[in-house]
Amino acid sequence: MRVIRQKPMTLGERLYIFEALRGLWTTLKHAARGLFRYETLPTISYPEGKPEVRNTYRAKHRLMLRPDGTPRCVACGMCAAACPAHCIFIEATASDDPRIEKRVMRFDIDHLTCVFCGLCVEACPVDALRMDTKEMVFEHRNRDDFVAHLYDLTNWDPKDYPDDEQSQVAPGGTKNAEALRVWGMEVK
Amino acid sequence: MSNYYNMPKLPTENSPKVEIFVDDKPVMVPGDTNLLEALKAVGIETPHVCYHPYLPVSGNCRQCLVEQEGPRGRMLVIACYTPVAPGMKIYTPASSARVKNARKATQEFMLVNHPLDCPICDKAGECTLQENYMEAGQNESRMRPEYGKNYHGNPAHQFIDAKGQLRGGKHVDLGPRVLLDEERCVQCDRCVRFMRSIAGSEQLQLAGRADHTYITTFPGEKLDHEYDLCVTDVCPVGAMTAKYFRFQKRVWLLSHTPTISMDDSLGANIWLDHADGRIYRVMPRCNPEVNRSWLSNTSRLAFQQFDKNRLPAMGFRVIQEVISETKSVGGKVALVAGGACTIEDLAALRMLKDSLGDSAELFGGTFKKVGAPDGIAMSGDPMANRMGFKLMGVPDDNLADLVKRAGEFKVLVTVNADLFGEDAAAASALEKIPSRIALSAFNDATAAKATLAFGIRHWSEIQGSMVNSLNILQKLNACPVCPDEKLRPAYEVLSELAGAKFGCASEAFRQAGAYAPALSGLTYDSIKSTGNLLEGGNA
Ligand code: SF4
Ligand code: SF4
Ligand code: SF4
Ligand code: SF4
Ligand code: FES
Repeated sequence: MRVIRQKPMTLGERLYIFEALRGLWTTLKHAARGLFRYETLPTISYPEGKPEVRNTYRAKHRLMLRPDGTPRCVACGMCAAACPAHCIFIEATASDDPRIEKRVMRFDIDHLTCVFCGLCVEACPVDALRMDTKEMVFEHRNRDDFVAHLYDLTNWDPKDYPDDEQSQVAPGGTKNAEALRVWGMEVK
Repeated sequence: MSNYYNMPKLPTENSPKVEIFVDDKPVMVPGDTNLLEALKAVGIETPHVCYHPYLPVSGNCRQCLVEQEGPRGRMLVIACYTPVAPGMKIYTPASSARVKNARKATQEFMLVNHPLDCPICDKAGECTLQENYMEAGQNESRMRPEYGKNYHGNPAHQFIDAKGQLRGGKHVDLGPRVLLDEERCVQCDRCVRFMRSIAGSEQLQLAGRADHTYITTFPGEKLDHEYDLCVTDVCPVGAMTAKYFRFQKRVWLLSHTPTISMDDSLGANIWLDHADGRIYRVMPRCNPEVNRSWLSNTSRLAFQQFDKNRLPAMGFRVIQEVISETKSVGGKVALVAGGACTIEDLAALRMLKDSLGDSAELFGGTFKKVGAPDGIAMSGDPMANRMGFKLMGVPDDNLADLVKRAGEFKVLVTVNADLFGEDAAAASALEKIPSRIALSAFNDATAAKATLAFGIRHWSEIQGSMVNSLNILQKLNACPVCPDEKLRPAYEVLSELAGAKFGCASEAFRQAGAYAPALSGLTYDSIKSTGNLLEGGNA
């Protein structure tokens, strides 16, 4: 057990009025700094200023794409099984592509329910789901719009992920042509 | 038959008990069965792939190895094909590292060229291979990624994938209802044995040998049989998949309701697997006395119509008025029960008849043809509860009488009986009856011809009981998929018409005891999941 003994207050502190004035002075100092030396403040004046977000931040989800632009998701439902908020809704169907068996038909994430834990990303066996969009602002006019559908989730631009090789494989990426060649290998 | 296998002998309640030594400990096991079943009877599960209690033993997977003390020392034997002998000494992985290693090696071999398909495999979650892996495998992968998988199957379906691996046919169309994934097949030959020994139509074959073995149909032939969807059940892995259920739902999201298929008088035991308020699939529920593990396609696929073309719930008043009007005028009422009526419905119907007095008459039966039992999971009789009718004293075959005397009646009440749909010509005489009330789940031909069609619950949505053709009292459970909560079970509607409403099925069942002495000693809750064999039915 550790006993923390408090330092007894001095007479000046016990008189209260001086300490109160000192507190007011601190407030005044910061207010003045905000007015005249704004740049030195450690806070960001959102929404004019935007914080720098790293790609490890668990932001809005996206679904990775194959070279031919189809979602990489195989609709296995692992993410939905892992999701503690039960906010992922998946429906599967058979794929037209003979190399792929199962494809996703509906993929909805309800971002009003999502707790941004990232477990879905961990669960995905094919690295189809990521949360590296850096999009952390969700503003919509009604509740339904907070549900991200397949279209929203796959509608991202490889140029926003210049360092990520996997993203460049998608249509419009620098590695797309090469990947498409391998992907398009003749199969019986 | 080129191969001859023995049907396994399963332990029963009357099996003689013998003493054997498992891991040097004496245990009493059923003596007239194989080691696998005997060990199971004392709570020791043996991982197995090719063994199926209702298929001939083939002993090809070697997953069920145990050690047995013999004249030449301890030998590995397969539990599924070793008969129990008194005093035999058996060693399981609990004491024998050799058994453990052998099972692990078998497991590893089985997975060598098995695809990494679990995420997209319909069997995942109820796959024997997954279970065995957790039980006996858990190996570090010794696969060399640079070589990858090297699957040899049907040469016609082989291809090299984007990673340069040799792969096999992923969706081979075997027939109208079944798709085969060759890579997932572990060549257990259960499907072959099912088609050969149970279905009696040898449509599947193992072709090739060693690790080039694959499942196929005869050239130009298709897998097409009334029981062909059973191969998707017996298949321990996701190789045989049913087209109707393919990718519909991950199996762990399904809830299961045990009930009875009310389209045949054998009353096949089934699971209704449901989620999100609808049925996704119907699976056979093992009942050794009734349908074992089998289910006909007709019964299995019937669920697709359960929520279609339903009659809406209606005001109860109208029907009450018609009945009371008849009572006052004094016209005769014909009460017709269809084969899907449960014991409870019949009890309520008899109560209604009693309340109407001599003016009411009971009829029952079907215009459909009664076929012959197929020896698997169908008796061929569409009157599902025929024995129940007999037991309850409700006529089960006097529709001809009704048609003949149709002119006598003022009111016709049909309960779950689609007379016009079954035989419009025979039923047309019934149109002479001025007031026709149809209590039916579906908006069928009879409901269309009725002057008053009243929606009730379908048999998949009610509690109840039925007596099957083997005189076994079986219990139906309500699957929570009723399209409209306002719909009520037939027994509730009928009993309310009779003036003493049953609140629940067990109340109705108690009332049924008053009409059928064979049921009087029983309560609804005491009906076992596999049914109670009745003595002294009227049959
Ligand atoms: S981040 Fe967490 S809560 Fe949100 S969808 Fe993924 S698993 Fe569900
Ligand atoms: S875990 Fe991945 S592949 Fe599976 S459904 Fe989710 S996003 Fe798709
Ligand atoms: S059969 Fe399907 S679920 Fe079973 S191990 Fe193979 S891929 Fe996985
Ligand atoms: S298809 Fe299934 S049941 Fe048939 S041999 Fe292969 S694994 Fe066994
Ligand atoms: S289960 Fe015994 S050998 Fe397959």
